[in-house]
Amino acid sequence: MSYLSTTDFFDDKDFVDRYAYTMRTGELDLSWMNAATEPVACEPQNQRRGLTFRDCDVGAYGFTEMPELIRSNRSFAPRGAEIPPGVPDLQAEVSRKSEVWAYNIEGYYEEAMSRQWNATTDIPWADLSKYELSEAVGKAYAQLLTFLTEVEMIATDVPAKWMGRLNADFFEVKNFIATQAMDEARHAEVFRKRALATGWGLMKASWANEHNLKFLRDADSFAEASLTLHLQAEGMVLTLFRFSEFISPTDVDKKMFRLVMQDEARHVGYGMQHLKWVLDHFPEKREIIHRHLDEAENFVFGGGYATEVFEPFIILAGGGLKKEQIEKGVKITAQFNLKQTDEYFERLDKCGLPERRERSKLALAVEMAKAAIAAA
Amino acid sequence: MRQEAERFRRLGYFDTTFGVEVMGERPRRFVLTFEVFECTAVREVDTFEGQPVDFILSGPLAPWREMLANIQAHGRADVAHSINTLTHFGESLRVIYDDPDGHDKLYRFAESVQEFFDLSAGVAIDGARAGAAATT
Repeated sequence: MSYLSTTDFFDDKDFVDRYAYTMRTGELDLSWMNAATEPVACEPQNQRRGLTFRDCDVGAYGFTEMPELIRSNRSFAPRGAEIPPGVPDLQAEVSRKSEVWAYNIEGYYEEAMSRQWNATTDIPWADLSKYELSEAVGKAYAQLLTFLTEVEMIATDVPAKWMGRLNADFFEVKNFIATQAMDEARHAEVFRKRALATGWGLMKASWANEHNLKFLRDADSFAEASLTLHLQAEGMVLTLFRFSEFISPTDVDKKMFRLVMQDEARHVGYGMQHLKWVLDHFPEKREIIHRHLDEAENFVFGGGYATEVFEPFIILAGGGLKKEQIEKGVKITAQFNLKQTDEYFERLDKCGLPERRERSKLALAVEMAKAAIAAA
Repeated sequence: MRQEAERFRRLGYFDTTFGVEVMGERPRRFVLTFEVFECTAVREVDTFEGQPVDFILSGPLAPWREMLANIQAHGRADVAHSINTLTHFGESLRVIYDDPDGHDKLYRFAESVQEFFDLSAGVAIDGARAGAAATT
């Protein structure tokens, strides 16, 4: 127990007497009725959509006018409420808006809330009995699902880790991160369940990728965590989910991957809009961002060690282990890998970091791979 | 879509405007707008130039026809005919976009987009039946 009350309330006679008096006489204090706050009556601008955070972006309650540094609130007082003297200092680790903010953060939150789905009941699990997969394809798919469960567990932990460390005034960001933690928990759930429904169960955890996941988890700042998780990692995972839908052996799996890619694309959207915000408002952070991405890309390149990840893709894309199936699978998987990195650099370009491709060792490795494929 | 309102409401907010382009001797281009839970506008246009679309799904008539025939035959797209499958490597249909953020809306609303096209299972489409035999 690291925090104790400064008062033993059971021994505070004045408090006990006053409470008993109030309950006995009905003489209320009512000083809170004169709270020094702004009376408002927010209404939905679009009745079909309901009352959104954007509708509530008014005065001191809003987010548009929020300053870069939150000095006034170090408690759990909701933004816009009167903060009485004596509230504890919760020592939020992040009180700079540029560390967390993104264009349209309020829109991403509302979209997240409306698009939640249920891994237990929204996947037509009973339809899986119509399909029979070969041993090679079944095992490859179970291995892919094992990897995806691993990845999504860290993707759950990272936003959850940071939620409590952000200043309470970043209400919309904290709420969005809460939806991300829920989304990723649901992804870990659905991938685990699907693996356990394959007939093969879970397969092997991934040494190389666990180190990459630890790098994501142990980021020094929320800004670094967001850059590498939302933009780099989830951007590449989004391409991976799209590829997984493409190679899915059943329409049950195609639906599953469509549902997970929806959530992933939303997280990537936040990552992109956060980077745009930072570069628009604090261009001096550009070099720090490049240094974070240097290490993130080092881990991405090292992912090549993970045969337990790319070999299942090859088998699933080719449809089996025969020589001609492997050849087909290698070609398709190589195309997917190139697409993954191309789309990553394309996102950075549009966010305001076009020079990333030139200084990136990963980009150089990809160009060499493209040249080798063209020559073959 | 209105008749299946609850199905789309269950999927959540669907906020995107995208183009559908059928290439051929006489290309046809359409802009579809979705807001909240509904398709609020469908317009035929001569060009996408100046149209505020998040992305464009484009391809020759043959894959569009094959997709619709497949949906009509099976009640929904099968494993080879989902929008993501047909557009993934750009060999049948392709996704055209200026901004990756707009492109990503195809995936943010992937299930809603797929269910929208799957609605064609209940629509009489000229020419789709001829392709149905080829996909069953």
